[in-house]
Amino acid sequence: MKKGFIGDIGRYAVHDGPGIRTTVFFKGCSLHCPWCHNPEFISPKAEIAFYPRRCIGCGDCLSVCPEDALTGASPVWINRSLCTGCGLCAEECPAKALELVGRSYDLEELVEILLRDRLFYETSGGGVTLSGGEPTGQLDFIVSLLRRLQEEGIHTAIETNGFFPWDEFEAKCLDHLDLILFDVKIVDPDEHRRVIGVNNDLIQANLARLFAVRPEDVIARIPLIPGYTATEENIRRLSVLFQDLGVRCCSLLPYHPYGLSKAERIGRKQTGSLLENPMDRSELLQWQSFFTGMEIIDPYE
Amino acid sequence: MTNITLDNITLKDYTLENLPRLKELRSLSFARRTEICIERARFVTRYLLYHDNPADSAEVRQAKKTRHFLHRKRPVFHDRNLLAGSTTSKALGAPLFPEFFALTLWPELDTVNDRKKNIQKLEPEDAQELNLKIFPYWMDKNVLELTRERFNDPECLSLFESLVFFIAAKAGCISHAVPAYVPMLEHGLSGLMAMAAEQEEALANEESREAKEKADFYKAVQISLQGIMDYAGHLAEEAEFLAQVTDDPEVRKECSEMAQVCRLVPAEPATTFREAVNAIWICQVGIHAENINMAMSPGRLDQILYPYYQRDIEAGRLDIGRAIELIGCLWLKIADNVTMVPEASEEMFGGAGTVPAITLGGVDENGEDAVNDLTYIMLRVTELLGIRDPNVNARYDYENNSPEYCRRVSEVILNTKSVPAFFNDKANITTLQGQGETIEHARDYAVIGCVELASSGRDYPASSSIMMNLVAPLEMALFRGKRPITGDEQIGPETPDPADLNSFEEFWEVFKTQLDWLIEKAIELNEYMGAVHQEMMPSPLLSAFFEGPMEKGKDLIFGGARYNSSGATHIGFADVVDSLNAIEQAVFVDRKYGFAELLEMVKNDFKGEEGEKMRLYLKNRAPKYGTEAPIARKNAANVVRHLFELYQSHTNYRGGPYRPSYWTMTNHAGLGGITGALPNGRKARQVFSSGMTPVSGAAPELTACLNAVAELGGEYVPGCWALNIKYTPEDDQQQMSQRFAQTIEAYFRAGGQQVQFNIMTYEMLLDAKKHPGKYPELMVRVSGYSAYFKDLNEMMKDELITRTQYNLTNGMAVPFPEEGGK
Repeated sequence: MKKGFIGDIGRYAVHDGPGIRTTVFFKGCSLHCPWCHNPEFISPKAEIAFYPRRCIGCGDCLSVCPEDALTGASPVWINRSLCTGCGLCAEECPAKALELVGRSYDLEELVEILLRDRLFYETSGGGVTLSGGEPTGQLDFIVSLLRRLQEEGIHTAIETNGFFPWDEFEAKCLDHLDLILFDVKIVDPDEHRRVIGVNNDLIQANLARLFAVRPEDVIARIPLIPGYTATEENIRRLSVLFQDLGVRCCSLLPYHPYGLSKAERIGRKQTGSLLENPMDRSELLQWQSFFTGMEIIDPYE
Repeated sequence: MTNITLDNITLKDYTLENLPRLKELRSLSFARRTEICIERARFVTRYLLYHDNPADSAEVRQAKKTRHFLHRKRPVFHDRNLLAGSTTSKALGAPLFPEFFALTLWPELDTVNDRKKNIQKLEPEDAQELNLKIFPYWMDKNVLELTRERFNDPECLSLFESLVFFIAAKAGCISHAVPAYVPMLEHGLSGLMAMAAEQEEALANEESREAKEKADFYKAVQISLQGIMDYAGHLAEEAEFLAQVTDDPEVRKECSEMAQVCRLVPAEPATTFREAVNAIWICQVGIHAENINMAMSPGRLDQILYPYYQRDIEAGRLDIGRAIELIGCLWLKIADNVTMVPEASEEMFGGAGTVPAITLGGVDENGEDAVNDLTYIMLRVTELLGIRDPNVNARYDYENNSPEYCRRVSEVILNTKSVPAFFNDKANITTLQGQGETIEHARDYAVIGCVELASSGRDYPASSSIMMNLVAPLEMALFRGKRPITGDEQIGPETPDPADLNSFEEFWEVFKTQLDWLIEKAIELNEYMGAVHQEMMPSPLLSAFFEGPMEKGKDLIFGGARYNSSGATHIGFADVVDSLNAIEQAVFVDRKYGFAELLEMVKNDFKGEEGEKMRLYLKNRAPKYGTEAPIARKNAANVVRHLFELYQSHTNYRGGPYRPSYWTMTNHAGLGGITGALPNGRKARQVFSSGMTPVSGAAPELTACLNAVAELGGEYVPGCWALNIKYTPEDDQQQMSQRFAQTIEAYFRAGGQQVQFNIMTYEMLLDAKKHPGKYPELMVRVSGYSAYFKDLNEMMKDELITRTQYNLTNGMAVPFPEEGGK
C-alpha cells in the first residue's frame, strides 16, 4: 500500500471549509508562490524546523547527526545543504527545539487520526480537508484516503492550486470530494510564470471544467497578496476571467504574514517582498467589490 | 421547546439599568466586608451548657439545640432585598460552628481584623465571648477532639493532621446535600410536622427499642421544623415593626408584604411564586442553623419553582421583570454568607464561597426536555449579576434539550467569562444508574457544591468526605514509603527501591500498594468521624427535607436517605498520571535514564545543566495525559479504574459505598506549593493541575484534550469531575458561541461529564494579578466553584494564569507569553 507523505495534521481547523475540520497538509508543491502561507510544505522532502528560543545548547543533536550537518553551540546551526531530513536530531532534542517536518503515514494510521475528531465534525457540520503543499501531487494516496473517508461518512474537501492533470483527477478523485477550494492567483500568463514558476493555462482550464461539472461544490479562492495578486489590474482581470469561466462562487483570502516565520524555521529564504502586517477588513471589502454578480463567501472563520 | 413561551430567550431587554433594586443589591454585595457572626455559636453553646438533657436521643438533642438557636436568631433586614431571612446576623456573615473548625480562630482572635488577606471582621466583644465562654466549652467537644478521644488518637488522625496526605473533611462538615423542597412547598412545614406527628403517634404503643428510636426521630423532626417556623414568625414580626416605623411608603409596602409572606410560609403551603421563593430561602436559612454552610445546594430551582411561576404568570399576578427581580433577590440572599477561614487555611481555601449549587435545565424524570421559561430567567439573572455564589450549573442533554438552549448557556458563559458550568445529562444519568439509582431518580440529579451529583432530595452523598492528595502515594512509591516533605519518617509500607524494579508494571504495583494503604487510612478515619457525627451531629432538620428518613423513621446520619454514599475527591490526578507516563517511557521504554538517576534528579529539583536537560526531556518527550498517546491513555484509565474499584468495595457507616471524584477547590495550588519536583518534569513548589484538567501546557490540541478526558468515562467517576478549560475571548461572540457550543456537544457525546470555563487570556490574568484594583469584580472558575480573582492567594492566582489557554479559532494551545514558543 502506498504511503502518504505528510507535513502536518491540523485538528480543529475552522478556516478550511465548513464546520470544525481536520486538515491534512501534504508535503510537496508544484507551485512556488513567494508568499506561501505554508512554506514548510513546499519541498517534497522531510526537513528540520528549528526553534532557536527553545534551544538550551546541550549539543546532543550534534552527536547523533550522521551528516555532520549541525554545528555551533547555543543555538545550533543547521547546514541545510547537508541535512537529509533523517530526523535523528529531532528525536534526540529534549527541548523540542528541532522538529521533523514531513513523514510518511500508512493509510489506516492516518484514517485513525482523522476519525478521532469525528464527533466534532458531526456537531459542527465539519469534516476533513486535504491541503498542503499540494494534495493532488500524491493523487493515488489521496484517492484511497478520500474513499475511506467517504465510507466513514466524513465530509471531504480539498484545497488545491489547480495544477493537476484533469483526466486523472476527474476519473479517480472528483467523485470522492464534497467540496473543492480552488486557488487562483495571477491572470497574466507571463507574470504567473515569472512569479510562480508555472503556466496558468492548465489551472484556468481546470477551474472552468470544475464549474462545468460540479458547479455547486466549487469555490474559487484568491489569496490577496499586496503587490502580487492584490493589484487593481489583476483583480479586475480575475473578475472578468471568473465571468468567462462560469465561476459562481468565490472567496477572497486576506493577506496574513504567517508564512514569514515558518519559512525562517526551515531555513527557506522568502524571496518576495512581503508586508509584515495582515490585511484589514476594509481592504478585503474593497477587493470583494470587484466581484459583482457572483456569490462571495467570507473566508471560513 | 414545549415549555418556552418567551419571545426572546436571552431576555436581553432586562438589564441592571431597568432593575434598579438588583443593581443596588449587587453593588452592595461587592462593597460589603465579611463579618464573623457568633450568634449560632453563642446559642448552641448556651443550650448545651444550661438546657441539654443527656437522656434525650442524639437526634432530639440536636433538634432542641437547633430550635433553641432558631428561636433566638435575630430577624434582620439589611437592605431592600424582597426576601426575608438571612443566614447570619451580619449582611455578609461568616457563621461559627464550634462543633467543627471554629476553634482554629482561637489563636487569631486578635489578628483576624487586620490580617493581610480576606479580612473577616470580628467585634471585640464577640472575640471576648469566644475567648472566655464559647471556645473553652468546645475544646474537647468538637468532632476532631471527640474522634481523638473515642478512638485513642489513631494513626490515621495524625496523617490527616499533617495536612499533606489527605483531608478528612468530616472534621469540618458533612453538609453537601440537595434537599427536596417540593413537599415543603406543597404541604408547608406544618404539613410535614403533622406527618411526623402521625408517625410518632403510630409508634407510641410499640415497646421495641427500634420503635422508640424511630419515635424519637419523628419527635426531633417536629422540634427542628418548629424552629424554622419560630424564626419565620419573628421575621414577620420584625417586618411588621419596620413597616410601622418607616416614613417611606415604598419601604412600608415592601415590609408589609414580607410580613404577610412570612406569616404564611414556610409554615403553610406556598400559593404564589413569591411565597415559594421566600419559603425556600427561609428553609435554606433553617438548614444552616443545623449544618454548616458548606455546599448546601438548593438544586433544580427552575423545576421546583416552575408551577408557581406558571400559575402566577397565567393569572396575571406576575410578570417577567418581577420574576427576574425575585430570582435576583434569591441569588443575592444565597450569597449572604461565607465560611470562616482562619489565616492558617488561606493557602488551601482562600477566596472560596460556600458553593451552594443551583442546577438548571436537563431532562425531567421521564427523560423529556425540562428547560422552561424559568430556566432562561435564571440564566439571565446569573448573567446580569456575575456573582460568586450561588454556583450555577447547566445540565444539557444533547438529544432532548434544544440547540438554542445549549447556545444560550454558551452565550452566558462567554458574557460572564466563567459561569455557568456545563454538565452532561447522558453521562451523569448513566453514572448514577451505575450507583444503583433508578432511572427516574438519576434523571432528577442536581449538582452539589463543586461538581458532585445527587438525585435531588434522595441522595445523601457526604460528597466531600475525603480529599486525597494523589501525589503523596506517588512520592511514597518513589521513596520507599517516605516523603521528602515529612523527612525521614516512615509513613507508608516500606516498598522496594524503584531502582531494583525490572518493569513498569512492578512500579505500578508499588504505587498501588502505597495508594491503597493511604486510602484505607483515610477511609478508616472517615468511619471514625462518621461515628462521632452519629453521636453529636445528627440532622433531623435536614432529614425532614429528604426522601427516605420520613418513611424509614431514620435520620440521614444513620442511613435514612434513599441513597447513601461517601465521596472522596482527588488532588494531583494529572501530575500523577504524567509522572507514571514519564517513568514508563523514560526508564522502561526508551531506557533513556535509569530509575536511580531519575530519582536523584527529582530529589535535586532537576538542578544543573544535566538536570534541566532531563527535565525538558520528561516534559517534552514523555507521553502526556490530555493527548492520545497510548501510554498516557492507559495510565490515566488505570488510575481512574483502580480508584473506582477500591472505593466502591468499601461500605460506609451509613451503609453506602464510597464514590471517587476529581475536583480540587484550591488544594491543588496549596499542596503543589509545598511539594518537591515530580518525574513529569514539574519543578518543586509549582502548582498541581486542577480537578481532572491536564497539566498546563501538556495538551496542545483542544480536541485531543477533550477526547482524552471524556474517554475516562463517567461510569468510573460517580462523584463527577471538574475539567477546566480556558479560551481566548474573540471579537465576534456570535461566531464564537456557535463553535463553543459545538465543541461542548462533541465532548459530551464522547462521554465527558462536566466542563467549566474561563474566557480570558494569560495577559489579562497577569495584569489582574499586578493591578488588582483594575479588576474588582473579576470572577474566575477555580475547580468546581467561582471566586473573585482578587481574593485568591498567590499560588492560586498563578495556577489560573498558567492554565492552558486555547484558541477556538484553531483549537491550539496559545504559548505562554514568557516561553515565546516561536
